[in-house]
This record gives sequence, C-alpha cells and structure tokens, in this order.
Amino acid sequence: MDQHPQPQAPAPQQQAPAPQGQPAPGAALAQPMQTAAPLTHEITHGPSFAMLRVDLQPGQKVVAEAGAMVARHNNVEMEVKMNAGSRAGFFAKVKAFFIAMIRKIVGGETFFVNHFTSPQGPGSVWVAPTLSGTVAHRRMQGETITLSTGAYLASSGDFEMKMKFGGFKSLLAKEGAFFIQITGHGDLWFNSYGGVHAVDINGPFMVDNGHLVGFEGNVTFSIKSAGGGAMGFLASGEGLVVQFEGQGRVYLQSRNIGSLVGWLTPLLPR
Amino acid sequence: MPQIEIGYKPAQAMARVILQNGEQFRAESGAMVGMSTNVNMETGSTGGIMKGLKRMFGGESFFQNTFTAQGGPGEVLLAHTLSGDIVSLPMTPNGYFIQSSSYIGGDPWVNIETKVGGFKSFFAGEGVFVLKATAQQEGQVLVGAFGGIQEIQCDGNMVIDTGHLVAWDTTLEYSVGKSGSGWLASFLSGEGLVCHFTGQGRIWIQTRNPQEFGSMVGRMLPPREN
Repeated sequence: MDQHPQPQAPAPQQQAPAPQGQPAPGAALAQPMQTAAPLTHEITHGPSFAMLRVDLQPGQKVVAEAGAMVARHNNVEMEVKMNAGSRAGFFAKVKAFFIAMIRKIVGGETFFVNHFTSPQGPGSVWVAPTLSGTVAHRRMQGETITLSTGAYLASSGDFEMKMKFGGFKSLLAKEGAFFIQITGHGDLWFNSYGGVHAVDINGPFMVDNGHLVGFEGNVTFSIKSAGGGAMGFLASGEGLVVQFEGQGRVYLQSRNIGSLVGWLTPLLPR
Repeated sequence: MPQIEIGYKPAQAMARVILQNGEQFRAESGAMVGMSTNVNMETGSTGGIMKGLKRMFGGESFFQNTFTAQGGPGEVLLAHTLSGDIVSLPMTPNGYFIQSSSYIGGDPWVNIETKVGGFKSFFAGEGVFVLKATAQQEGQVLVGAFGGIQEIQCDGNMVIDTGHLVAWDTTLEYSVGKSGSGWLASFLSGEGLVCHFTGQGRIWIQTRNPQEFGSMVGRMLPPREN
C-alpha cells in the first residue's frame, strides 16, 4: 500500500515530456481560456456515496453525464447535447452519434451529456453517480486522461473528448468496450464503484477490466484474457484484463459491477 | 418522547429507539432489526383498512408495527433496506412530505397520510408517492436514504430528480414534470422526471437514486423465467 497517492494530487508525469497522443504543448493555451476562474465545487458524502456540487456564475458552464443530475436551482439551465467535442469534425460527430445511440439502446453510459449554465445569476447544480463510491477531482492542464465509459461524471473547461473503441476482444466483456479520451484544460470529475486507487506505474502492470477507472501518462495498453487462452478466460475468474506498459498513472476502483451481477444472478428465483 | 440514537452513519445507519416504560414508537413493517424482550410489537393497519389500502397503493406496506415498552424501559433497533444514512426530523407545525420509500417510522401520534403524486409519476415508474406527516405536538419521524442525506434550502425555486427525493417541508409547493424543454430532450438527457419546488423551505435529498441503481444492475441480470 505504499503506492497510494490521492487521485486529486497532480500526477508526477506532468513534469515529464508531453505524453503521447496529446496536442502540441501550449496549443490550447494560444487563445485566452474561456473560463478564467476555476469553479467553486464541493464533493460531499464520500467515500461511499459521494456527490458533487458545482456553483455556477453567469458565463460558466459545467457538463455532466446524462442522468447524473440530482438537483439544481431553477435558474440553472440544462441543455442536452451529444458528447462529441466542440472541435469534432463531421465524421467524428456521426461516429459519436452512432455510439451514443447504440449505448442508449444497449444500456450503459449514453454519451449524451447535459450542459448546465446559469446566465441569470449564480446557481448550483448537484450531480452524483449511480453506484456507491467516490467522486475524484482532477485539475487538467493540457494532459490527456482516458476513462472507462462509466467513469466520466462531469467536466468544466476546454476539453476535447473522443470515443475510443477498446477492440473486438473487449466486446466479450460487459464493460470496457469503449473508452473516453479527454484532453484539455479545466476541472474533470470522475467516479468509481467503491474507492479510487491510483497506481503510478513504470513498466508492465495488469488490471482486471472491471476494476479499471482510467489511466494517464505515457502508457499503452492491450486487452487480453487473464489466464491466457480460452481456458484461462473461463477458469481464472478474472475475465478480461488490461495489460499496461510504460510510465504513467492507472486508476482502479475497489469494486466491480460485473462481480456484483455474477454474485446476484444465481440467487435470483427461477 | 423516546430518545433516538443513530449509529453506523453515514453508510450503514441504524436507529436505536430508547423507550421508557409505556412509551410507544411506530415503524414500517420490515424495518425492525431487533428489540428488547419486554417490548411488545403489535401489527396493525393504522387508521383502518381503507387507510391501509391507500398506503399500499402508495408503495408502502399495508401494516405498520407499533412497539410498546412494558414493565420497564426497552429499545427497538430500526434500519432501512439499502445502504445509506438515516435522520430523525423533529416535527414542525407544518409537517413534512416524505417520499414513501424513505419513511421508516415515527412517534405514534404523528399522522401519516398518503398523497398520490399523479398519473404522470405513476406511469413513469418513478412513483412519486408521497406521505404527509403531521403532528399536533412535538414529535419525530425517521427517514432513511440510499446514500448520504443532504439538506438543501430552497429560496424560491429548485429542481430535484424525483429518484433523489427524501423529504421536504410542506411550506413548499411542488409539481412533477419533465426535466428538459421537450420530451425528446428529457429522454436523451436521462433525467426522467423531476420535481419543481417553489417557495421557502428545506428539502432533504439522497445522494443515490434507488431506481437508477436497480435498473442498471437489473438489465445485467438474466431475464426472469415467467
């Protein structure tokens, strides 16, 4: 347990050269930032049932996962949008739309998001995840972080979000078929089922697919079966694992929804 | 009035109701965890059969249990179904509206009436079945949550997701409606139904939504056989 940095702490990789897959350093800073002052926010009721409150001033905006809203002041306006990013091209938007519709029908994260603004005066919005667990805050300064789709809760700032397909192997698993790659400046909040555990890796590291929240830094990953081959997939009880390589930070969650479902299923009445 | 201690807050709260000889407390059937041997539990449909039926329609159980300490002091332990917090609300002259699944119990002189939230909420399956708790004297009512409980002061207007409601002051006007500007936007926004509040008063919310949790886990389960 010596590796237990707080998720809120800046990653040590920030001082390192820009992680791969990130735009040229300073590119997004060329224009003045749209939200000058950081939002005031508070995370309460952690670690088991964390909820986020964001206080908005006129001109400020927070984007939250569809369905995450708990409450808002009436003067806070809500607008539903597809999460394709402001600078996404036509093709990216079409792709995002198809993924969004598939996920809306199949279930899981919808990839529709709600934009909250408070043009008439100050107002607050409260958001919370579905499962019991933590809300982690990450102040982003141009880094790239990749999250499992269920892990994204809210963001405020100048972000580029891209859907990443985890590969055909990942379709075998109930979760983890898609990732969200987030790059930019501002506040990012993500959630976990259970507690969030950050692990700084330097070299190979393996994570159970259902326990993965996200990762950042100069890392590559591949999805494989834990025991190797079909037998290992069935016998190890671990399902799919994500094998990381490189230097960066991996965020894990201490619970796994697949395990809960697996435990519950045989107990259901026939 | 019995003394109430709430332990194991906030994630796994349990209420300990300490009764003096002859004192009574009333609770939802199924809420009892344990009790002293000299506490007598009487099951009844408080307020008669019609009230009991109405309560059942409101998502509450038909029966309520009344606990009475006999021949000396005793205690009753009460808990909620899902993991989360419990708070004891002291009765006010105006009383409270309580989301029916959040109600755990109260003093026997606290009158509990069922309000049906309207057809809109009935069809949405997010039953905004609401109980109205009133009392002519001092008293207390126990409410439980899925997750933490947060008190929010409403000064004018608030919008709350119906699945996150626990209780609110009756001084507030409320109406159930869609969350977005249109039905499609409401569907895509994933917010379902919300409750619009106007006026001055307090609202208690729960930090997790039981229906949302249930449907998320439920759709991963195999279909029912019958």
